[in-house]
Amino acid sequence: MATGFLLNRGVLTLGIHCQNVCRNVTLTQIREKKRWMKAYTYLMAKKLKLEGPPPPKPRSQKPNWDYHAEVQAFQNRLHENFSLELLKQAFVNPCYLKAESERRQELGVDTELTALTLKNNIELCVKGETITKTFVADWCRASFPSLPSEGVQSVVEYLTGVDNITYVARNLGMEDLTMSAEFPVPERVLYSTFMAVIGALQESSGKERAVFFLRDVLVAQMIGKDIFDLWTVVNPMGLLTEELTKRNIPLPEPRLIRSAGASTVLPLYFVGLYSEKKLLAQGPGETLAAAEEEAARVALRNIYGFSENRKPINFSPQQEQQSTAQAISSN
Amino acid sequence: MTSRGTPSRFLKSVLQNGVGRYICQLKRVSIIFSKNAQSSLGVRDFIEEGVVDYAKKNPGTVVYVSPQGSRIPKIVAEYLNGSVREEIVTSKTAPQISELLTKLTNQSGLDIIRIRKPFHTDTPSIQGQWHPFTNRPPSIGPIRPEKTDAH
Repeated sequence: MATGFLLNRGVLTLGIHCQNVCRNVTLTQIREKKRWMKAYTYLMAKKLKLEGPPPPKPRSQKPNWDYHAEVQAFQNRLHENFSLELLKQAFVNPCYLKAESERRQELGVDTELTALTLKNNIELCVKGETITKTFVADWCRASFPSLPSEGVQSVVEYLTGVDNITYVARNLGMEDLTMSAEFPVPERVLYSTFMAVIGALQESSGKERAVFFLRDVLVAQMIGKDIFDLWTVVNPMGLLTEELTKRNIPLPEPRLIRSAGASTVLPLYFVGLYSEKKLLAQGPGETLAAAEEEAARVALRNIYGFSENRKPINFSPQQEQQSTAQAISSN
Repeated sequence: MTSRGTPSRFLKSVLQNGVGRYICQLKRVSIIFSKNAQSSLGVRDFIEEGVVDYAKKNPGTVVYVSPQGSRIPKIVAEYLNGSVREEIVTSKTAPQISELLTKLTNQSGLDIIRIRKPFHTDTPSIQGQWHPFTNRPPSIGPIRPEKTDAH
């Protein structure tokens, strides 16, 4: 037809490509440089500058997502055997259930026919929390037997605190799998999801495996940490005198050991603590008082077993630990 | 660019991985390719033969295969710490692609920038770090330059 003739004349000059879909329908596209492209890109950039970047979307709403496969990969990655039902239940938070049911009511869907059959993770969360806290406290007391209860308390609070747990949960890939009302997932929700996963692990594989998992993941965060970062001690000297009186060691006397640059801007004093003329510990400081406090802290670290050259935490795999325990018990 | 002009980081691992158990850091691999284009020929061969073995060997990684009408075949790898890496695999052969996938599997998701030191330790000193006062004999009285007897 005439229109076909007119259109096809543009092929060589204007770069129009025609594709015959069927007898009466022709699709045309211009594959060369598009004149509207520059204006469009400038407009979109202006819009981005005005409104800021788009809000983050949860991974489940981006392409390439299969929940069942992701959950299975999650348990394989951690080398653990979960019962899939419990694990999926662990990821369902009560806020999500509320939001979903509200959404369904708004959409006018019949609540009887399409009731949400998901159970939330509150009980699993409570179980997981008790296991975690008891395990961390036991581990702490076993590895550092002379640490007083406030020290143990502060270590447990650090390791099972919301910050640490959410950091661990994010780096294990739990944020994608949690079902919660808001995105990005709020910290408390992520905390309860992690605890629920621990509870699910205990229900599926038993307490021992849950304990080993906690050791590998949570206790590893203690590597390289110093006790006085986690436990604020206001008066280390008083604490030290208490500890020494408990062990019937004579009380410490501070003596200046080394000094350098006393009249300069950066003086350095080394103060040593002696009990019965034997050196307990020495510590440096800018003023005499600071050096004495540091020496007391060093002495406390040595007593509690938190010195820098302490033996590293035992992370040997489960079977080896069991076989050594059997060997010891059989002997 | 010089090392001072480009970003750098220290050697570290995500969540002290490997100290307790080793957790494979690659969580998701999406292979985007085209069904008909000639640049994704290697990808199509890899999907025919190698991808199922790869998925069986790495049960902790989810493999998504999505044919789209894109001219440029890509492999998008997502890691546990949230970082996403896209590798373009136009005109690569199937063995090259499987090599690339093993490389991606063995990486952690940390940035590929200059590593300042190839080592890291949490206990740098066992016997105590040296400072100028270690092994220095204690002084009685003020410190003066030694007087030599033979003048």
